[in-house]
Amino acid sequence: MIRVWLIARREYLERIRTRGFIITTVMIPLIMAGFIFGSIFLSSKASFVTEIAIVSSDTQLALDLKSELQQGQGGSLTQPSLDPRKPTIIVDAMAVAPDTKAILDQEVDSDDLDGYLWITPAATPGARPTFTFTPRSSTGETSIKDTLAAALSTVLLREQLAHRGIVAADANTMLQPVEIVAAKGSTHEDRESAEVSVGVLFFLMYLVIMLYGMNVARSVIEEKTSRIFEVMLATVRPEAMMAGKILGVGSVGLSQVGIWLAVALLLSGRSLVLHLGGDDIHLALTAPQIIFFFVYFILGYLFYSSIAAAFGAMTNSEHELQQLNMFLVMPLIFCFLTLGTVLLTPDSTLSRVLALIPPFTPLLMYLRVSLGHPAPWEIALSILLTSASIYGIVWVTSRIYRIGVLMYGKRPNLPEILRWLKYS
Amino acid sequence: MPIVQLNHVRKVYDTKVAVEDLSFTIEPGTMFGLLGPNGSGKTSTIRMMIGITVPDSGSVSLFDKPFVRKMLARVGYLPEERGLYKKMKVLDQLVFLGQLHGLTASEANQRSRFWCEKLEITEAISKKTEDLSKGMQQKIQFIATLLHDPELIIMDEPFSGLDPINANLLMDALADLRREGKAVLFSTHRMDQVEKLCDNIALIHRGHLILSGSMTEIKSSYPRNRVHIHFEGDDSFLQDPSIESLKRYSGYAEIKLRPSPTLADDAQSLLAHAIRVARISRFEVTEPTLEDIFIEKVREALPIANGGELSMAQLDQPKESDLDD
Repeated sequence: MIRVWLIARREYLERIRTRGFIITTVMIPLIMAGFIFGSIFLSSKASFVTEIAIVSSDTQLALDLKSELQQGQGGSLTQPSLDPRKPTIIVDAMAVAPDTKAILDQEVDSDDLDGYLWITPAATPGARPTFTFTPRSSTGETSIKDTLAAALSTVLLREQLAHRGIVAADANTMLQPVEIVAAKGSTHEDRESAEVSVGVLFFLMYLVIMLYGMNVARSVIEEKTSRIFEVMLATVRPEAMMAGKILGVGSVGLSQVGIWLAVALLLSGRSLVLHLGGDDIHLALTAPQIIFFFVYFILGYLFYSSIAAAFGAMTNSEHELQQLNMFLVMPLIFCFLTLGTVLLTPDSTLSRVLALIPPFTPLLMYLRVSLGHPAPWEIALSILLTSASIYGIVWVTSRIYRIGVLMYGKRPNLPEILRWLKYS
Repeated sequence: MPIVQLNHVRKVYDTKVAVEDLSFTIEPGTMFGLLGPNGSGKTSTIRMMIGITVPDSGSVSLFDKPFVRKMLARVGYLPEERGLYKKMKVLDQLVFLGQLHGLTASEANQRSRFWCEKLEITEAISKKTEDLSKGMQQKIQFIATLLHDPELIIMDEPFSGLDPINANLLMDALADLRREGKAVLFSTHRMDQVEKLCDNIALIHRGHLILSGSMTEIKSSYPRNRVHIHFEGDDSFLQDPSIESLKRYSGYAEIKLRPSPTLADDAQSLLAHAIRVARISRFEVTEPTLEDIFIEKVREALPIANGGELSMAQLDQPKESDLDD
């Protein structure tokens, strides 16, 4: 079909020459990079220092707790942690004096101290002392409380063990936390990078499908308002017009994603990303991940843009289109909501079922292919199901299109649209 | 060999009959006027002729054969609603549309330049379409219709919105094409344009054909019972018993004479009467205008007698899409 090609080429050239294309091509990666590196930067620099005081008449207990908090096995509290949930804790152990509480309260109020732990000795020997923590209101109190509780139980446990005649060294060995080493394949860190990289691509796919699906709808409306359809339909079949438009606009999207990926691969080759993000993040994509990205991107785009084309044909203005957009956006948003589940358990039954439902397949199956282990038949079935539904949608859409593009004036209601489907 | 042949064509949209039992033919080298008020079925008829819609019954033949889409390469169509890509440069646009009609890029380029020169808009070639005036855009559209040298040219309201100079330019271009042996169909509700240009006409009203044939035949089948008179001074001659009805303007009157076997003599005696009382600068005896004929025909076709004056304005129906119920 030479005409489909002519229409697609016009659509492609007209779009790729616009300033908008250049701007989105440059801006979207910048914004995304900003988000990613920004959050990495924040989490690495913002691990905050917490200063607390421990007040106890039992000096030994206070000192033990202090050393446990500062160099305990639970976490590397002596050096700034990358995990913002584990604050660095500076501890002062002090004995009880009559005015201690008043002084500490004042220090907490004046923000010099993030909180203090008051240890009241047990009334009867052998029972546990009571612990009261008074935090400054704005501190991340729960995390500090958790840290304190963990340190306290270790300290108390060690004390009990010592009471029963176990040597400190043995006690330490017994209290050593268990470490599980991943048996084979990807280490924890590689997996994390892969998740981030795939997540970025997932977001890209979502964004570009939305963006270009809407573009198709908008450009149908534009041609409707400018009445160019009448001219075109005198030479071209509406189906050819629709095909040309979807292909042309889609090629622009593909070019854009292609540019982004090429640049990203170039940059990661030069390890520029490494310098920017520390060694936590690097572009960890394998060739199949990229190939499947394009496969599912194309499927998703065809799926959503053909629906968008029908919406464009049914409406007369962008305003009317916005009311229908909900139906386009909802399944995509749904994919976003399930992102967490599928990311963490890509091979669970829920993930497997969701990934086979055509509106969700492009995004979710792509995640599974990248991070999980779908069976080859699952991949084949997902592609087959989505292709079949695209075929169905295009069939319905081209019918709506044929009538709709010549219809101006009021928006058709559902019975009217169903009637359109019967027209030959 | 007729270029267009419509046989008992009928088209119904849902409950609205757009075209009913319509037949006519268009010969090469003629200009054909498809006339009727807004909403009468002109655009629906044209859309069926070029396969945008398909008739429910009846048949459409182009170039002496049943319609197939391949024939569209020999048809040029200017729709009523003008449409161009606003952001595209004029030349790119014309070349694109030419290519869609099967021209090569260089052919399309060459012909676009030729036509732009002919219609005196060469300065527009390098501009964006949205920067042009409405009249200029209309000329571009006109060129796009003719680029591929079609044998059948269909124009829906081609002169609407054009100033007289540009309208004449386009009319001359159409007249040239007719001389080259092309068949030209244009639809309009401006009857005066048709009288000047068309060889044959078809009048439709609410989807029904109410009059068709060659312009001269139609005109000569009506008696010369209209008098146009320009005068100064006393207008008492307008009370003359030979006058059935009249429209008065300042210094000018359009008179319809009472039916009589001696119409020519009645006109002469009316002139004699007028000269006695007023100064006459122009006196013309003629057939009814196409508009008069149209109004007369519609009135005959209407089932209920219309008491008041029936005008084109009243015949106009609210403009709606043909597809609306």
